[in-house]
Amino acid sequence: MVMKSAVEDDDTGWVLGIPEKMKNNANWVDITHEFKGSCKELNLGELLHDKLFGLFEAMSAIEMMDPKMDAGMIGNQVNRKVLNFEQAIKEGAIKVKELSLPELIGIIDTCFCCLITWLEGHSLAQTVFTCLYVHNPDLIEEPALKAFALGLLKVCDIAREKVNKAAVFEEEDFQAMTYGFKMANNVTDLRVTGMLKDVEDELQRKVKSTRSRQGEQRNPEVELEHQQCLALFNRIKFTRLLLTALIAFTKKETSSVSEAQKLVAQAADLLPPIHSSIQYGIQSQNDTTKGDHPIMMGFEPLVNQRLLPPTFPRYAKIIKREDMVAYFSKLIERVKTVCDVVNTTNLHGILDFFCEFSEQSPCVLSRSLLQTTFLIDNKKVFGTHLMQDMIKDALRYFVSPPVLSYKCCLFNNHQAKDYIDSFVTHCSRPFCNLIQIHGHNRARQRDKLGHILEEFATLQDEAEKVDAALHSLLMKLEPQRQHLACLGTWILYHNLRIMIQYLLSGFELELYSMHEYYYIYWYLSEFLYAWLMSTLSRADSSQMAEERILEEQLKGRSSKKTKKKKKVRPLGKEITMSQAYQNMCAGMYKTMVALDMDGKVRKPQFELDSEQVRYEHRFAPFNSVVTPPPVHYIQFKEMSDLKKYNPPPGSADLYLAASKHFQQAKLILESVPNPDAEVNRILKVAKPNIVVMKLLAGGHKKETKVLPEFDFSAHKYFPIVKII
Amino acid sequence: MIEENGPSVHEQPEVSSSSQARQKLEGLLNKNMRIRMTDGRTLVGLFLCTDRDCNVILGSAQEFLKSSDTFSQGEPRVLGLAMIPGHHVVSIEVEADSLEDADGFGACH
Repeated sequence: MVMKSAVEDDDTGWVLGIPEKMKNNANWVDITHEFKGSCKELNLGELLHDKLFGLFEAMSAIEMMDPKMDAGMIGNQVNRKVLNFEQAIKEGAIKVKELSLPELIGIIDTCFCCLITWLEGHSLAQTVFTCLYVHNPDLIEEPALKAFALGLLKVCDIAREKVNKAAVFEEEDFQAMTYGFKMANNVTDLRVTGMLKDVEDELQRKVKSTRSRQGEQRNPEVELEHQQCLALFNRIKFTRLLLTALIAFTKKETSSVSEAQKLVAQAADLLPPIHSSIQYGIQSQNDTTKGDHPIMMGFEPLVNQRLLPPTFPRYAKIIKREDMVAYFSKLIERVKTVCDVVNTTNLHGILDFFCEFSEQSPCVLSRSLLQTTFLIDNKKVFGTHLMQDMIKDALRYFVSPPVLSYKCCLFNNHQAKDYIDSFVTHCSRPFCNLIQIHGHNRARQRDKLGHILEEFATLQDEAEKVDAALHSLLMKLEPQRQHLACLGTWILYHNLRIMIQYLLSGFELELYSMHEYYYIYWYLSEFLYAWLMSTLSRADSSQMAEERILEEQLKGRSSKKTKKKKKVRPLGKEITMSQAYQNMCAGMYKTMVALDMDGKVRKPQFELDSEQVRYEHRFAPFNSVVTPPPVHYIQFKEMSDLKKYNPPPGSADLYLAASKHFQQAKLILESVPNPDAEVNRILKVAKPNIVVMKLLAGGHKKETKVLPEFDFSAHKYFPIVKII
Repeated sequence: MIEENGPSVHEQPEVSSSSQARQKLEGLLNKNMRIRMTDGRTLVGLFLCTDRDCNVILGSAQEFLKSSDTFSQGEPRVLGLAMIPGHHVVSIEVEADSLEDADGFGACH
């Protein structure tokens, strides 16, 4: 009996494609009917499982036949042979020479779409390498296609190298695996750009020869050929410019960045004609029943399906050709912006540049290019400046510490030099890390900002010690001068900026519930911004003290009248903005407290946790910071207790106070000369909130049970409060 | 051997049809199982879990393609933990010797 069934099973095994080794001991017995029958006896919702296998383990199982999880599924729904490049050539399913112009245009456009899909975080195997031509460009005889395939591989290779080097990606951003594919490493960059240029020249000749001449009767066929040649020419040229620009980014000289900027600008000019000529390319004969993959000559979406690991089935949807040009033009805009960073010389300016750039949620390639442009081979800023010198400049700009002033005796004092040099050297790592954090995607930044506070806490400690040592040195040499809390102020300033950013990013990422707003805004307005402003004004007065000394020294030496110029304070703008932010936060804090009094804030039923647990969780990263010391929940409750006022304010008083804060913010912002986009964004929130708070103070809709809405569309950190 | 393993199987004392079915299925736990799915693929792996709708979870599963696919034929793909929805199960097979074990439990009872 057993023998017989074994033989039968061997047959079925062969039909099912089970390999030899599996067949050996495969005395398979069919139990389908019995098994299904037994299952039916189980209760609804009952799981029959081993003691060691529970629901928890079951959760990590991939679900078969679910297109989102099951990568192997699509491969089995198509009734065609999946051929690799060599097989396809043998079977004549793919042309390697004498491709028509529409075929070339169509293939190139699809490749562009694949490239973009890869850059957006899908795997190479599911995107670029679904194009069979790039598997082995050596087999291609058509020169244009061969050059393009090599060019595309080089673009991928350089992009991959850049992204890897910058290390500002996570699995959701980018897939760096190459699955052992060859990235055209056997040919040099120069050779590939040369090949592309040759093809370009050849095409240009054709474009010229088919151009319409004056008075000539236009043959529609010639006109079509002219258009198609032009379309192909533009695509090849675009590829070459993109590749050359990326190559420029790998060079060490700063000048190459502006070269790259020029090249991408030229590439951008080609995008409108590329967009208008998409229709000349062959389109995929898309079988809508078989998923979203375009099926056309040269492409086999399933060719790499077996290479994918099981937990990696993400179904790569290739973007549409119509969207390709828009993506490229945005990418080029971002790359152009990245190139501008070299014009910023001050470390604080660079930090702001990184923050602002990150706010647009840029793609991983542009983020990586920005990182690698900033620190070339992790050595020098823009390949020219030492990070230590940048930090010294930043210190001079921020607090003008005597030790870094040429006019101070400490400047040439060996011991003082040792102190400051070692401090600056210790600073360079954390500051490079801080800049690198801003290269990550928005969600990841928050977590990393929380961690870097530890590094800054160590720096803070050192800064205070160095300040003290320098001060005692200075007291001996120049008793009339001071070196108090200079370096400490500077580190504190960065500490506070990181903490503020950490809290604010929670609004952008929609992490906070409505009932949490009040303590977040309280922490910001009463604590962090208050600290920030006092830190900035201390830095400002330190600058002024230094300037006064310089002036006196100048007066002493030259008889020239030093004109009392009214100088713009370098930190003035930042102080003003901090005041505005503080008022916005204070306004929001009071609004939230008042709304809570009126029963308009929905609170959770605290069963397993409490407000204290949430509060402590929200501010947990601040525990590693010594200055400013963290405010614990009990302290917060005491400090924010309204009963300490006599009489305690009611909700109407608080609405009115909130309205005044928004009003104050508006006044401050309106006084800013040359307001930037950020100023206008805050104003857009402050203005309506002034009105809404006044209405609420007057008892408007006091009885309504409908909860207010918080609209973060105008500003990512401050909502417009809407009463419905 | 059988006696020692007994208690884990004999959790329910009454011998109803449902407890018999349960025992039968429990006897199959951790046995190699081969399941054919509606799209023609076959998965081979350890039987870990099932429920009333015949959803099956296999551990260390390997995927085999149907025979018509010439490209990379016969090469299994390692899937690991995989759940096959009951309505996609076409046939279920177990290795004959493991079935004897499982039957052994039933016979002993």
